Amino acid sequence: MEKLQRYYLSFFCLLLFFSCEQDYSKLTPKERHDLAEKTFKDGPYFYQGSPETMSRIERAIKIDSTYCDAVRELSVAYLKRGIPHKWKIEMDKAIACDPAIWQPYRGYNYLWFYRDYKKAIVDFNASDSLTPNFIETPQGHSVDYWRGIAYLGLNDYENSIFFFNKYINKEIEESGEDWVEFTAFLYRGIAYYESNNFEEALINFNKLIHYSKQTADGKYYKALILHQQNENKKALKYLNESITDFNKGYFNDRPYVETLRQIYIQDLEQLKEKIKSIN
Amino acid sequence: MKTKNVFRFFLYSISFILLLILSKIGYYNYSIRSGVDTEKYPYSVEYIAPDKALLNKEFYVCDENFIVQYYNPQRATYSKGKNGLRNFIISHYKNKNYTDSGYLNIRFIINCKGEAGRYIIHENNLDLEPIEFNTDLVNQLFNLTTQLKKWNPNFTYDEYRDSYMYLSYRIENGEITEILP
Repeated sequence: MEKLQRYYLSFFCLLLFFSCEQDYSKLTPKERHDLAEKTFKDGPYFYQGSPETMSRIERAIKIDSTYCDAVRELSVAYLKRGIPHKWKIEMDKAIACDPAIWQPYRGYNYLWFYRDYKKAIVDFNASDSLTPNFIETPQGHSVDYWRGIAYLGLNDYENSIFFFNKYINKEIEESGEDWVEFTAFLYRGIAYYESNNFEEALINFNKLIHYSKQTADGKYYKALILHQQNENKKALKYLNESITDFNKGYFNDRPYVETLRQIYIQDLEQLKEKIKSIN
Repeated sequence: MKTKNVFRFFLYSISFILLLILSKIGYYNYSIRSGVDTEKYPYSVEYIAPDKALLNKEFYVCDENFIVQYYNPQRATYSKGKNGLRNFIISHYKNKNYTDSGYLNIRFIINCKGEAGRYIIHENNLDLEPIEFNTDLVNQLFNLTTQLKKWNPNFTYDEYRDSYMYLSYRIENGEITEILP
């Protein structure tokens, strides 16, 4: 029994020994990467931007400074909370870490969170040379799709249509038209609409309505065109459908920030009043 | 005697397993807490210190320990919508020959009653580097922002909550070109 007590104490000491902090420099690059990833991803959930989360990310970076997911993650809370100067410092570190992945992603941030269309385009363009063999897809969409939106933000319709064509044609060629992101038709339609090419605009809005079925935006823009072509009865029909879709939540928006050319119920009601006053 | 030894062995085993579990939990908590860099991150990144904030004296939050973000599930919004907010700011703002360009960000809290307060201002150029805007421009936009009185509070976990909010004014040569988010 005395032996048992001795084993018991020895095992306890062993436990304490293993709970000491590791010397990461002795690990291989693969081990450091894996440990950094484990530190970054495992453990209890804490809110983004909390001391616990931020410290955990810092720990992962300390283990492996080339683990770029963590480097980038350090910027995100600042981005979403409207603290640009701190976001920029951390985001630039992620680009230094892995430009091929994070430069186009920074472009996405410039596009939506800062509405800096020119800086966004520079970052999207950089991906052409950073990844010459494939088209990068930050946040799930091709840089061509994002460039189409960025040029629309600049009211540069020619370039906007060019990049939407590039994106849409590639999707059609590889997967079929029904795989095209709906909003590509919406935004290409808007680019045509705002450059007074109603015919091409209608083709795009019709495609959007065809694939999306419930789309306040597509039907609103179609109503706008029909109204301008003095087809007010048809315009009113689409507008009423647009309002129904809007009230059901089928309109184009984004998390965190307002989307480009976002429509509001007031826009729809104003147009309705205008059309009704003519009829 | 034999029964006594078996009982003792059993007791040791149980206490060992208990110690193992407790030390595991203890180490787990210790590693989380000791790993927190309280010097660099004493609070969450969005924290607005009440003593350094503007218009905080008469303002209260419903729960200092649980302030969510404006975009959390049912987001906090201005009572007249983004359109109403934009129309109010744009129609009242006057560019008094300002030459400033950059982002004027005003962060604040919308409490669970939909009231705004505890403001803080960040001034950055278009490259997102800290600068100082023309004081009159800052005062004008700050005053307009604080006139946005009625907000729809955030609704999370079946209750109206306090939430952090911000308005970012992108300014080019004194003109407001975007209001985000």
